[in-house]
Parts: sequence; C-alpha cells; structure tokens
Amino acid sequence: MEILQGFVDAVVGIFQTSGFAALTWQNYVMMLVSFILIYLAVKKQYEPLLLLPIAFGMLLVNLCPSIMAAPLTDLIPVTEYLNNPNHTETDISQIQYQITTINGIDYVNYPTQNAGLLWYLYRGVKLGIYPPLIFLGIGCMTDFGPLIANPKSLILGAAAQIGIFVTFTGAIFLGFDPAQAGAIGIIGGADGPTAIFVTTKLAPELLGSIAIAAYSYMALVPIIQPPIMKALTTKKERAVVMEQLRPVSKLEKIIFPIIVVIIIAILLPDAAPLVGMLMLGNLFKESGVVERIAKTAQNELMNIITIFLGTTVGATASGANFLKLDTIKIIVLGLIAFCMGTAFGLLFGKIMYKATGGKVNPLIGSAGVSAVPMAARVAQKVGQQENPGNFLLMHAMGPNVAGVIGSAVAAGVLLNVVG
Amino acid sequence: MNLSGITSLMNVADLTMAEKGITSAKVVLTGFVVVFAVLVLLIVIISIYSSIIQAAQNSGKKKQEKVVENIKATTTDKVEAPVETVAPVAQDGISEEVIAVISAAVATMYGSPEKAKIKSIKKSDGGRSAWANAGLLNNTRPF
Repeated sequence: MEILQGFVDAVVGIFQTSGFAALTWQNYVMMLVSFILIYLAVKKQYEPLLLLPIAFGMLLVNLCPSIMAAPLTDLIPVTEYLNNPNHTETDISQIQYQITTINGIDYVNYPTQNAGLLWYLYRGVKLGIYPPLIFLGIGCMTDFGPLIANPKSLILGAAAQIGIFVTFTGAIFLGFDPAQAGAIGIIGGADGPTAIFVTTKLAPELLGSIAIAAYSYMALVPIIQPPIMKALTTKKERAVVMEQLRPVSKLEKIIFPIIVVIIIAILLPDAAPLVGMLMLGNLFKESGVVERIAKTAQNELMNIITIFLGTTVGATASGANFLKLDTIKIIVLGLIAFCMGTAFGLLFGKIMYKATGGKVNPLIGSAGVSAVPMAARVAQKVGQQENPGNFLLMHAMGPNVAGVIGSAVAAGVLLNVVG
Repeated sequence: MNLSGITSLMNVADLTMAEKGITSAKVVLTGFVVVFAVLVLLIVIISIYSSIIQAAQNSGKKKQEKVVENIKATTTDKVEAPVETVAPVAQDGISEEVIAVISAAVATMYGSPEKAKIKSIKKSDGGRSAWANAGLLNNTRPF
C-alpha cells in the first residue's frame, strides 16, 4: 500500500511540474502560431533564416516558460549575510552581489536560481549588441557603388522613411505612448535589426510583436509592393530605361564609409552604433586588405548572431505577452507604415522622373524601404513586366542601400526625440 | 544636434486629441526635416568628393596618355624592326592546345604582348597538385 501511495505521489509530482499543469490556453495558441510560422519558413521559404529560429524560440518559450525566466534572488540583510559562516566576506564592500537598501536596511541580492538559457542569450538583444553586429555583416556584403555613382538616390532612401513618421501619428492616436509609437513606426523602415535596436531602447515590452511584424513584412515585400507600385505609376513611367551607371573607382568606395560615418555619428550620435558598424563592415570589404575578417563578419559571425537573435526574439512572444489587442494594432500599423514607405518612395521617384525629363524610372523609389536586396529585385521585376529588356536592378540598389542608411538615421531621430 | 525636449510628455492617455496632434506633428516635422537634411548633406559631400577623385584620376590618365604619345612620336622616326614571332620552347609531351591555353591566360592577365613573353613551358616535377597548392596558399597566406 505504501509503495502504491509513493508511486501515485511521484506521478502527481511529475504532472504538477510538467507543462500540462503550468501552461495556459494562450501558450497553446502561441504554439499553433509557431507551427504556422515553421510551415511558412520550411515549405514556403519566407525568410527561413530568420523565421525558423523565431518560430522555434516562440515554441520553446510557450512549452517551457522558465527557459526565458530571469534569475531568482533572495533579499538577505547584510548583517545576517556577513554572520553566516559559509560566507567568507567580512565587510559590506567585499560583497560581490548587488546591495538594495529598503527602509534604511541594506539587503544582499543573493542568487538562488540561475536564469533560463534564452534569458542569457537575450542579453545581446536587450543591451543592443546583436543588431549592430548584424549591420557589421551587412556592411561587408553591401556594394555602395550604385549609390556613389548616383548620390541622388539618397533622396529616395529618405522619402521612404516618411512612412515611419506618419505611422507614429497613427500609433499616438490609437493610444500608444510616444516611445511605443516610435518603435511601431520604425517597422516602416523595413529593416529588422534597426527595428529591434529601436524597440529594445524605446519599448522593450513590444519587442516580440514588432520584430515579428517587421520580419513578416520584409518577407512579404514581393506581395505587398507590386500593387502599390502599379497603382501609383503609369505604364509609360514604368517602362523608362535608365542610363547605365558610371563605374566607381576603388578609392571612392573606400572613402565613402569613412565620410558617411563621420557625418552621421557627429550629427546623430544615437545612430552611431548601427551606422558605425555598417560602415566598418563596408570598409573591411572595400579596403580589400582584411579579407579574412570580412569573410568572418559576413558569414560565421552573422550566422551565429542570427541564431541568437532569432531564437531569443521569438522567445519574447510568450502567450501572455503576445495575445493582446495591442499586437493586432501593431501588425496593422506596421503594414500601414510599410505601404506608406513604399508609396512615398514612389512619389519622390515620380518627382525625380519629372525633374529629370523622364530619365529616372519612378519604380526604383519603392526600393527606398530597406529590405535589401528584395525591394530592389521587386523594382526590377515590375519594370521588366513592362519592358522585358529593362534592367533596373543596379539602379534600384542605390535607393535600396540608401534606405538602410535612411532608416538608421530615422532611428537616430526617434531615439533622440522620444527616447 | 539635441532634439530632446520636443516631447517631454509620456502619459499620452491623458492628452486631448489636439495635444496628440501637436505631439505627432512635431515628431513628423522633425523626423522629415532631419532625415532629409542629413541625406541631402550626404549627397552634396559624396558628389563633391566623387568629382574631386574623378578629376584627379582623369588628369592622371591624361598625363599617361601624353607620355605614351611622346614615346610613340620618338619611336616612329626609327626604322621599324621586323617583329620576331618566336614560339616558346615547350617540353615534349605538352600539346599545342596547352601552349595556346597558357598563352591566352598570360595575354588576359597582362594585356598586350609587349608586356609579357612566354619563353619556355616546362612541366613542374611532382609535388602538390595545382589545386592542393591553391588550397595551401589560401590557408596560409594571411600568416
């Protein structure tokens, strides 16, 4: 009888510590969402490099919330701590743990349980370390040649950021505070690392929904952009064949990152971590003397960071955090921001078309939302539908890489104004 | 550039519609103006340094062209020597096709035949294969 009771107690104990007892319905809904995302990543190949780790992080945190739990600490009065014979410290100054003073009494924050695995990896997101490192890799892969050959495309990169600020207004009127509204607006920049960087500083509580919205819309660029592009341009404008870009010398390419970082870091120090790393990576590439470092930054380092970033960002989407009305608002506002960015880029493209007497194809304006190189490829594809002999890709790469700089500048402005 | 102080409010729920409008108008205007100003400044600076570099490189090229023209002018006075067409001395067992391929590669790398000549072609004896050498070089070059 005693054996049977022991057996029942053990089974009950196992059940009580298992997910069945601890999980809520929100966790199960989020698991379903993660299955859909895994399906989209594997079967449809929508940005699988990011979507797969995000979806799996989401699954893990909803199966086992403690994987993202912060470390537990006990508050022990300092005198009691020092009197404990197990502790070797003899004075308060020697105590290595954080001291908290409550009602005039000092307490030691004594750790009793370590944090979950993903909590530690998430430090890189929370402290704003991963996004600039991703930018380092992007810098190594980016050719700013088309932008240097045609600097006016920076205007299109700036125009596409207007969506960020217009969406900010929408978010304010939907009841978000200015910091949250800034983080939501940045989805319109269509730049994942920038969106994460800004959100962790302005509204960390919204990180899961904003990151997922940003990456989803980047993956959906080929579906979202073409209808807007066709609606805002005429057949004649879309068929414009642009003159070939001039070749850019190596010296110009080497000087470019140095000049850009000097100007932006002085004017907008808040954008310096992102732009600084982007330009460092680009200098690695263009200088041609540190091939090994450039290779590591754009391959191994970037892949490692992508794993950590994706998994931990997915892990912020726990059921209780994610299943809120605010998430739906963010997803809708994000879509508006993205569409507005595309539209303003196109409108400025049309202005350039008129100003140059029909030499600029307005379609390249839509590539001003970052999403490199997807947005440029979409411009190429839509242009070719009108004129199969038209190759807009290199022309669209100018505004496309300008969009990366533009969204980093917009991020700097938002951090300064509402941060 | 210090933009803080434009929005000192944080409790947006307490704001009236008019105040919300003013807050967002300020941010939209600031964002619009600053982003455009910074990028237009970049356009100006990129254009300036590009034109300086292009001008410098063009003048360098022109100088080179002048030197070449001068050399040509002095050499045309002399009686032109007949151009010798000597085939490279090739080891037995190396086919004409291989010689042609090597010559083509050299011509592609060095451009005109005046800059490089192939005098002889020999098989290297044993050792690593060309691919193994390339792999080794790739791994050890930075050290």
